[in-house]
Amino acid sequence: MTAVHQVLSSAGPYDAVSVQGVLWRRLLRERGLGGGDYAASVDPRARTGFRLLKELRAEPGDLVVIRYSAYSSKLLPVLALPNPKLLVYHNVTPPRYLWNHHAGVAVACAVGRMQLPRFARAADLAVGDSDFNTAELREAGAPHARTLPILFDDARLAERGAPPASGAGPLVLVVSRLAPNKRHDLAIAAFAAWRAERAPDARLLVVGEPLSPSYRLQLEQIAADSGAGAAIAFAGGLSQPDLNAAYGAADVLLSMSEHEGFSVPLLEAFHFGVPVVARPSGAMPEVGGDAVLWDTGGDVAVTAELLELAVRDPGLREELARRGRARLEQFSYERTAAATLHAVEEALG
Amino acid sequence: MTSPEDAFSRAEEEVARRRSAGGYAGAPGGALDSSLAAGEPSREQLAEWAVIEIDADEVLYSSRAGAPLTFFKRLLARLLRQYLVELEARQTRFNIALLTRLDRLEERMGADEEAPPDRVRDPGG
Repeated sequence: MTAVHQVLSSAGPYDAVSVQGVLWRRLLRERGLGGGDYAASVDPRARTGFRLLKELRAEPGDLVVIRYSAYSSKLLPVLALPNPKLLVYHNVTPPRYLWNHHAGVAVACAVGRMQLPRFARAADLAVGDSDFNTAELREAGAPHARTLPILFDDARLAERGAPPASGAGPLVLVVSRLAPNKRHDLAIAAFAAWRAERAPDARLLVVGEPLSPSYRLQLEQIAADSGAGAAIAFAGGLSQPDLNAAYGAADVLLSMSEHEGFSVPLLEAFHFGVPVVARPSGAMPEVGGDAVLWDTGGDVAVTAELLELAVRDPGLREELARRGRARLEQFSYERTAAATLHAVEEALG
Repeated sequence: MTSPEDAFSRAEEEVARRRSAGGYAGAPGGALDSSLAAGEPSREQLAEWAVIEIDADEVLYSSRAGAPLTFFKRLLARLLRQYLVELEARQTRFNIALLTRLDRLEERMGADEEAPPDRVRDPGG
């Protein structure tokens, strides 16, 4: 039986790339395709789904899916395998965001972007999970690269875990890794401005694993200095049920990110009918379309007023929810699953 | 109801109105620049980074059992200090040498750019 193996640079419990690995595995298994999922480094919390890359044993004819989101030297031997290869490009954060904050991750990202052409050339088929990513792939030497959106399975959003700490005021939710390109500093500034000017009882819940413990401390200091520190909570990474509960309690999702290869939280917010205020960065506009209040300026006071509209204007909320549901149809599981299987079959030849 | 397409301009108008009345005092326009903003490292920053010096107190662990693990890792770093210092020194030596060469190269390029065209050396000889 032909097997499809997935290879990642690192696997974790919450990150979008690992979640895609899990969803692809389930889809492949449903279609009778075997194989295993491997990563150069595996977070202890992800060991049930992923094995270390050194354990990969690909039989002739097996397909190797390389999920590329950061460089690892341990991925290079995979390129030398005679097996057909499908490269899935999730984007690599430009290192300029990271030099000041995490030298190791910055180096991995810098080398990751430099090595992308090597991976692009070695792949029999290359796909990006957004047009934004596909454009980078084409530039890297995969002229026939095409876009294959992420698998978005709303069944994962059904289970509700523990809700966030209750409070009377509106809840602003930020969901993304705590990393400099996500610009949590701006989200905090906009929230603090909104709270000071319009919503004294508002709360901000920040969900996401930190780039490093010291970066989390830095953001906590920014929150404390903002004047709204008591209303800002850093939840760290949440399990999907707990994240679902947070969406269920949220009044608005805020993203000030400057660099996004896709942005799953947009689709999650659409699913829960939560309005979104976001900057149109990277792939965000192609995912959010007309269902997001786009913050195209450079003024956190304007962001604050967009939060005010998103939270207090019932007609606007209803319209955004309606448009969000329409966007979800563009990314329906059935549609993307069919495209995914087609790509796998094509790469297998 | 505000339409999604009109929301941004309406937000801008409201901010202008409020600012003229003294509102949003803590959020001056253009506040998107901050210490976390991205940027390529400057020459001064490169020089600073060239000197590798890891403080054992920077060793942290983020799990629930963090405190004892952090203590153990810091202890390990101190026990291996002699080895780590040598490693830091060798890497620093390489970094400084490379930066110095880069500086010389930039100086030469600058001199060539400033020289009259007929005095620029032909790299092909």
